[in-house]
Amino acid sequence: MNRRVLYLVGTLLLLAFAGYAFTSFQSQLTPYVSFADAQRGVHRTLQVAGGLVKGSSSYGDGALSFTIREPKTDATMRVRYSGVKPANFEDALSVVAIGRWSPSERLLEADKLLVKCPSKYQGVKPEEKTYG
Amino acid sequence: MDFLAKLYLPGVLALGGALLFALVSLAGYVQLLAREEDADTRRFARRSYALFVLSVLMGAAVLVVLLLRRDFRIEYVSQYSGAELPWFYRFSSFWAGQKGSFLIWLVAGSLLGLPLREAAGREEAPVMGVYILTLVGLLFILVRETPFVMLSQTPTDGSGLNPLLQDPWMVIHPPIMFTGFAASAIPFSFAVSAMVRRRYDRWAHLAFPWALGGFLVLGSAILLGGYWAYKTLGWGGYWGWDPVENASLVPWLLGTVLIHGLHVERRKGRFRRSNLVFACLLYFSVLYGTFLTRSGVLADFSVHSFVDLGISAWLIGLMAFFMLGSLYLLVTRLHKVPTERSEDPLLSRGTFLLLSMVVVSISALVVAVGMSSPLITRGLSHVLITPQQLTPQSWAVTRWLSKFAVPGQVPPSWYNLLHLPIALLIALLLALVPVLTWRAVPGREMAKKLGWGGIVAGIAGATALMAGVRNPFHLIFIALAALALTTNLQKTVQRFQNGGLRAAGGYLAHVGVGIILLGILASSSYDESTKVTLEQGVPRKVEGMTLTLDRFVPRQGDEKERFEVTVVRNGKSFLSYPQLFLNDRTQQVMAHPHITHLLLQDLYISPIEYDPGEPGTARRLHLRKGEEATVAGTRLRFLGFDLNAEGNALQAMQQGGVVAVGATLEVVRNGRTERIEPLYRFTPAGEVDSRPQELPGGGEVVLAGIDASSGAVQLEVRGVEPVAGPRPKLAVDVTRKPLIKLVWYGLYVVLFGGILATVQRLRDAMVLERVKV
Repeated sequence: MNRRVLYLVGTLLLLAFAGYAFTSFQSQLTPYVSFADAQRGVHRTLQVAGGLVKGSSSYGDGALSFTIREPKTDATMRVRYSGVKPANFEDALSVVAIGRWSPSERLLEADKLLVKCPSKYQGVKPEEKTYG
Repeated sequence: MDFLAKLYLPGVLALGGALLFALVSLAGYVQLLAREEDADTRRFARRSYALFVLSVLMGAAVLVVLLLRRDFRIEYVSQYSGAELPWFYRFSSFWAGQKGSFLIWLVAGSLLGLPLREAAGREEAPVMGVYILTLVGLLFILVRETPFVMLSQTPTDGSGLNPLLQDPWMVIHPPIMFTGFAASAIPFSFAVSAMVRRRYDRWAHLAFPWALGGFLVLGSAILLGGYWAYKTLGWGGYWGWDPVENASLVPWLLGTVLIHGLHVERRKGRFRRSNLVFACLLYFSVLYGTFLTRSGVLADFSVHSFVDLGISAWLIGLMAFFMLGSLYLLVTRLHKVPTERSEDPLLSRGTFLLLSMVVVSISALVVAVGMSSPLITRGLSHVLITPQQLTPQSWAVTRWLSKFAVPGQVPPSWYNLLHLPIALLIALLLALVPVLTWRAVPGREMAKKLGWGGIVAGIAGATALMAGVRNPFHLIFIALAALALTTNLQKTVQRFQNGGLRAAGGYLAHVGVGIILLGILASSSYDESTKVTLEQGVPRKVEGMTLTLDRFVPRQGDEKERFEVTVVRNGKSFLSYPQLFLNDRTQQVMAHPHITHLLLQDLYISPIEYDPGEPGTARRLHLRKGEEATVAGTRLRFLGFDLNAEGNALQAMQQGGVVAVGATLEVVRNGRTERIEPLYRFTPAGEVDSRPQELPGGGEVVLAGIDASSGAVQLEVRGVEPVAGPRPKLAVDVTRKPLIKLVWYGLYVVLFGGILATVQRLRDAMVLERVKV
């Protein structure tokens, strides 16, 4: 009798944990989205990828700002990233930015960057590094 | 035969031979299975295995020689090594690329087979048969993707080793990791052979020390990787829930479950079925992790650069082969495995061990799901209604489900969120296991045993409260971890008194886990970080400390260019040297944090950006031997040339090599006298290399020219005179990590305890094999 109650409690705890895991998975999932979807503000934290617009990056007040261009649509997006400036950032080919869209400032507030640089290592695919 | 011309034959032949001998040895062991105790067959199988190991080692030796001799005809050498690398980095570029890392995996795996065949005793034939099969899988990948491909044109230099990997920790981390991966195939081989032979009574004893050993090796590799990330990457953490990290964590967690299950099976004959399942899962998790991180499927989601070598199909085939094969065995055999029914009372060691195994399995499942989230969501986006396809008429369930149908990944916070309850439970179970026995323990006796632990837990909780911890979960967590630490320490001492150090290994490892739990909570939930821009010479208050940027220190020999920052804390001052340096090869700016270990916390100063400001004007001086000049209170006297600064200069000049001449200078500044010797290097072709030499007390001097006939030098003195323009500025990230040392110390304790336990179990297993023959 006693044991059955405990099994029941155990099962309920497991179910509760599974529910918690699923809902948090869903709410925290960082989706890959197009620029248009990002700017619609459907998702809170999201990731976008695009080519770095040459000469668009500037560093000031502890934040790096730059513009990326979506290859398919040619749309552009301004990104601000407060963190250690990635090595050789100006030469980046493409950037994956993870963060939130700020509708008031019309820019993506990034907390993580994945930078693909042209490889200094000839013959090898571009190397990637993550910052943040 | 055209493709052979593009391959480096000695290496290819060695690996081809390895494949041949592996198959021959496999055939030998299959025969031995049929004719048990046949000495000739055994000898044949063993000799073939030895030849297989020899071939693998020869293949590896060929690659080592190619790397050390800078043979850039070989594609792998030219991609991952460079002419200027010191020998140990040329050596370690062996495992800088994927092809080489599969080879080092094979080397470790083949070598482990040698002690394995001795230790397997009467199970040698089936165990070695399965084990060789796993190695053949690796060999197939290596035949498909051999590191011995030759280039059609030989480059003059290689591309060099990724600068991030040029670190002593990264020299040893990968081989240890791959040894751990290789070892994961051993419990799997024992489990499969037990199922093939339908003999379930001995494999747990035999496999136990191997499972423990593999668990330790993998744990050490994870520790090294974490420490490397903390020390060099500069983002301030040691664990980022990155797919590559997770791919090693899941096997480690499953290994934890397996060793506890095997422990109970040895003692009580229970968990026979689940242990077979977990031994298989452990090996699958290694294969699956390899697939995830090596096939390029996560290319957009990870720090580590993954290049699809076109081996995805092979890896999937390998996984499918081993998974389907063992799944067949599990399905057909598992229900017939004799196992003891649980009759454990609630408050007993058996019940609590079972609960711990469930909790750790859940942790492994969470991590596995998280690291697969890109694949899962991508898959679901094809199956489910996506947010774009929703219509106003869609049901609420469809709406809810559609949120899973967006390709994406879960962030580190998801793992952290789910691991808070997991860690709380683990701390609780860990605290209670030492006071329990296999039989029921009366509540009163338990309470008595928990006495000291309770006091320590209370003190720890109160201390945390006073230190400013307010989160009730964290307070409970700290108290439980302290309780776990104490009860396990008591048990360790008790075991030590009764049976010596070896008998205490298991509980000692648990003490370590308690320490780690405290360290993880403190360093990850209570770290404080501030970004600040330091102007040279201007003190700034940060986090109760005063930071001053003293100067930029130019490169000196092997010491890269760095910044000197004075930190004053509680009246004591010390220097910190964060680095921002230009990598010679890649011309990339590399950032290296500087970590100061204080008693209760680490102070982590990570450079962000440097603005050199207005460079001070350079003052040119022309000095003959014995002459002196004064620049802004600094007196420089030229004492004479040093023709033996780097070998004899006159000899070098005759031979037409690089000539190095030093100029000995006496510097008098602020009443202190010091000697320095800037160097001037030149070649007969007229190339000049003269690096700035730091002046005692700041500033630098460059030997701009030498005039041998008049015996004079041209000096350029910089950074000595006060400057009117903007001063240099350094933006840094200052982080305090409280109690982070506990994470490393705890891991050391876990590993040490684990080694003791492994030694003990290895003896047990050997005794068992001798006694029962």
